[in-house]
Amino acid sequence: MTWIILAAIVLVAAAVLFALRRRPSDSGPESFRRHIDALSPQARREVIDRVNRQAAADNAPPKRPGRDPGTTSGDNT
Amino acid sequence: MARDLAIDLGTANTLVYMKGKGIVLNEPSVIALNRQTGEVLATGREAWQMIGRTPGYIVAVRPLRGGAITDFEITERMIRLLLQRVGVSRFTRPKVVICVPSAITEVERRAVTDAARRAGAADAQLIEQPMAAAIGADLPIDEPVGNMVIDIGGGTSETAVISLGGIVALEAVRVGSFDIDAAIQTYVRREHGIAIGERTAEEVKVAIGSAEVTEEESQAEVRGRDLMTGLPKTVILTPEEVRFAIDDVVSSITSSVVRCLSKAPPELAQDFLVRGMFLVGGGGLLRGLAQRIQRETQVPVKMSNMPLEAVVMGAGHCIEHYDALKRMFMGARR
Repeated sequence: MTWIILAAIVLVAAAVLFALRRRPSDSGPESFRRHIDALSPQARREVIDRVNRQAAADNAPPKRPGRDPGTTSGDNT
Repeated sequence: MARDLAIDLGTANTLVYMKGKGIVLNEPSVIALNRQTGEVLATGREAWQMIGRTPGYIVAVRPLRGGAITDFEITERMIRLLLQRVGVSRFTRPKVVICVPSAITEVERRAVTDAARRAGAADAQLIEQPMAAAIGADLPIDEPVGNMVIDIGGGTSETAVISLGGIVALEAVRVGSFDIDAAIQTYVRREHGIAIGERTAEEVKVAIGSAEVTEEESQAEVRGRDLMTGLPKTVILTPEEVRFAIDDVVSSITSSVVRCLSKAPPELAQDFLVRGMFLVGGGGLLRGLAQRIQRETQVPVKMSNMPLEAVVMGAGHCIEHYDALKRMFMGARR
């Protein structure tokens, strides 16, 4: 029983240490580099493109209901 | 699992960006309440249409003035309703990044974060509007070059110099496009003896308001209440009159830009001459304002492609890259 408890403690401690090592540090050159990379035009492109697409869709003329796109209307005489 | 949100809680408009989706809400920051019961009757565009046109028991208010919360309880209710409208419930509590003016006090910061947390946010972080605007305006702020952004909102005007992902110089004044509307109201009352409402003044500004003489100018017919007789009256306003009326406000905005330029390190100042300054925010849409700033500073001024959305896009980018951009948040630098 004691061995099981000890093994569990060791496992938990190892998991905590592993998680701490994996967590990126909040200071230092590595963190600063991630910060700058996240501000690069490439990183920002996704958000800007998404909002531009939304704006383009909002400005698009509404489709006329009840007509197939591409078919000519018969009342344009 | 809630999608995290970025909120541009502006004096004039509130925009909400949802992680992975884009801008999901863009409405005036107005709430209409039943004065007797305290019940919320409308928010956003619907409430905006009620301003100045409500019976005695209804009040349509802007809970933010000068970029700061003037009524904590009403702001909290407004944020709660906004979050509900974008799908936040008591079981889905998102992380929220809120854009605020850089000049807000510690007490005001706490009021905003508390209002957001009480309205259903799991965590609320603040980011300065000019910083968010620079990210959203797609300026090369990741490079060691001077980027200057001027954000003219409803209640505040902020100018910032940004380089290598941080603010180098900053200047903010609690003057914005609502002050321009108020100046028009005061002028019409004083010179023409009629009282006009907030919305009418805004319509005059949009129709004929300008900071410099422009090519196409026309007059505007303004209807209000005669202060002497109490009867409805119509007067004609010219663009020159409006320019005169708003000159003090425009001057205080341009002066703050000049002060910010003078604070910038000389190495960065030369970048502005080449790259220019970027104008964002609804107040920047005033005709001739960019030319006026350019004339007074001798630095080229360019209008952002999406002046009204730039701030929320910047905050939206922060919510998309939350861990990498943590150091941007106001609390992180204290």
